[in-house]
Amino acid sequence: MFRISLFEFRIYREIMLVENIKAEFNLYKNQAEKSDFFLKREQAFAEFEKVGFPTTKNEEWKYTNLKNITNQSFQSTCESTIETELMLSHAFLKDLTANKLVFVNGTFRSELSTIIETNESIVISTLAKAKTAHSELFNKHFGKYAPIEGQGLNAMNTALLSDGAFVYVPNKKTVTNPVIIVNIADSTDVNVLCQPRNLIIVEKSASLTLVETFYAVGNNPSFTNAVNEVYANENAHIEHYKIQNQEGESYHNNFTQIFQEANTNINHVTLTLSGALVRNNLHFFMNGQNCNSLLYGLYMPHGNELVDNHTRVDHAFPNCHSDELYKGIMMDKSVAVFNGKIMVHLDAQKTNAYQRNQNILLSNEATVNTKPQLEIFADDVKCTHGATIGQLDEEPMFYLRSRGIPGDVARKMLLNAFADDIAERIKIPELVELLEQEIEKKI
Amino acid sequence: MLSIKNLKAEIEGKKILNGLNLEVKAGEVHAIMGPNGAGKSTLSAVLAGRADYEVTEGTVDFDGKDLLELSPEDRAREGVFLAFQYPIEIPGVSNTNFLKTAINEKRKYQGLEPMEATDFLKMMREKMELVEMDKSLTSRSLNEGFSGGEKKRNEIFQMAMLEPKLGILDETDSGLDIDALRLVSEGVNKLRNKERSFIVITHYQRLLDYIVPDFVHVLYKGRIVKSGDASLAKELEEKGYDWIKQEVEANS
Repeated sequence: MFRISLFEFRIYREIMLVENIKAEFNLYKNQAEKSDFFLKREQAFAEFEKVGFPTTKNEEWKYTNLKNITNQSFQSTCESTIETELMLSHAFLKDLTANKLVFVNGTFRSELSTIIETNESIVISTLAKAKTAHSELFNKHFGKYAPIEGQGLNAMNTALLSDGAFVYVPNKKTVTNPVIIVNIADSTDVNVLCQPRNLIIVEKSASLTLVETFYAVGNNPSFTNAVNEVYANENAHIEHYKIQNQEGESYHNNFTQIFQEANTNINHVTLTLSGALVRNNLHFFMNGQNCNSLLYGLYMPHGNELVDNHTRVDHAFPNCHSDELYKGIMMDKSVAVFNGKIMVHLDAQKTNAYQRNQNILLSNEATVNTKPQLEIFADDVKCTHGATIGQLDEEPMFYLRSRGIPGDVARKMLLNAFADDIAERIKIPELVELLEQEIEKKI
Repeated sequence: MLSIKNLKAEIEGKKILNGLNLEVKAGEVHAIMGPNGAGKSTLSAVLAGRADYEVTEGTVDFDGKDLLELSPEDRAREGVFLAFQYPIEIPGVSNTNFLKTAINEKRKYQGLEPMEATDFLKMMREKMELVEMDKSLTSRSLNEGFSGGEKKRNEIFQMAMLEPKLGILDETDSGLDIDALRLVSEGVNKLRNKERSFIVITHYQRLLDYIVPDFVHVLYKGRIVKSGDASLAKELEEKGYDWIKQEVEANS
């Protein structure tokens, strides 16, 4: 009789998720209307079939191996069965006055969501609705910023995205309260795949505070593959916070493209508190003069967690400023990857670009792979970059202890101080408080 | 109060202190002088409990407690205060929060309740006046961006807040101009009383013009080779350390 050898079995396992995705797309294809949107998805699917999932042979994925994800199968349309209250008890910022859009396993849950914005010209809705209700805006912006060529995961999201937020802020309008997008992966019953897709459009001189949060419940693995497209028209101001706190066997890949027109001001903070594997791809493109891009991040993985931050800032026009600071507190056997690329294009004279990555190892078994990168084609620029990896300094420790502060208290004070550089970039006090509590809990 | 007997200490196998003896009684101010490399800073480091120094012999008794057995924080909470030669900057830790933590940890150690916020602020105000410290400095991060003089004054301010039994000033005069030196010294003098003792470690005599010691000791090659009163410091200022070195060599 026929026997599968171990080797063949392994190969079969590795393509499990790919087969899974193909089957799902074929299912979708047979039911879908042949619209423009469908064509985009079909094209994306073809790209996905061509490039597949990135492997460690790809320089950009050298330290982040997706095999634990790709050798499993995940279901993307599964209902959540656990009680709403229990589920939301995991969510942060419950008491914050905000517009809330809640997605559970990729599906919008209107009964859990609240929109308090009263200005009717401002749209805070879902992508599924916007596709028809705001088709002009949708067609103008959707898929324009997050590339799919050679990007298997973006292609997969585009081909089979579940739903996501759609926010539109017209000229000169300000969304008074933050918009919080709550993403919950519930893997109580099965392995779950969530593919949120957000489209955020902030028009001229408009402003928005956007918070994305990610949680996971259930003991089965979950895989979140998110894509954000953020468009900032001239003079727009956006505060963007991303909080990742998916405990257990949760895998997370995230691609965020922020496209900036002239005179825009973007402040972005990513807080990675938990997740078995978290890969963030954060890209800024400055498409005009006098842009200001601020990228900050704090990660504190424990156990065997892996956090990978890949950022890219494209200075394509003169007189723009970017500042980037990512900080890591590494515990247990955790691994962090930082790769920050600043591209200063030929015409981007008078660019000011700064980038730093700083890590504290609290364990002998933690690993950090860091690579700050500058590629400069202009000749009149001010750019710096650097990275540090070290232990908590002995000197400050001794100083505090010599004043009667015990070692464990001193350690906490110093780690809080280390994180403070990031905390002070957050303009929502409730979020700062939350971060402080999380640091307290984790360390 | 403090009794050091036959103290020997080394760092990375290098012997620095070679049998040092020193008795400090309550309320006394002892100056320790000596040429570079004599072991002055090692003495302060060993007393404060820096881990890189290994004590190989001798005892240090502090009010009946074996000081060498205590952790750095317990030494502080027992009443030892070291004013650092190079106070470090700790960005992100506010001066006020730091002092509040330090004081309350000491109170906890003594079995006392944490200090009331209003009492703490009142105490801050009083002590700030005492050392003529600028109010704005306390709201900033610990020593961050402070000038050399401000850092040293902050050390004295911390000492005033923590009210130690024994203050050790490790080359507090280094890097200070004459005005800063005067301010710092005045602060120290205001903290002198019948119970509180000081060990003033310095290379130069000029600090001792302001903080007049009861005793002056000369440290050389890890031992105290000569002791006297304040006039010894003056003599050293005039003649330098060479005659002491020659005396020691001749005797050995």
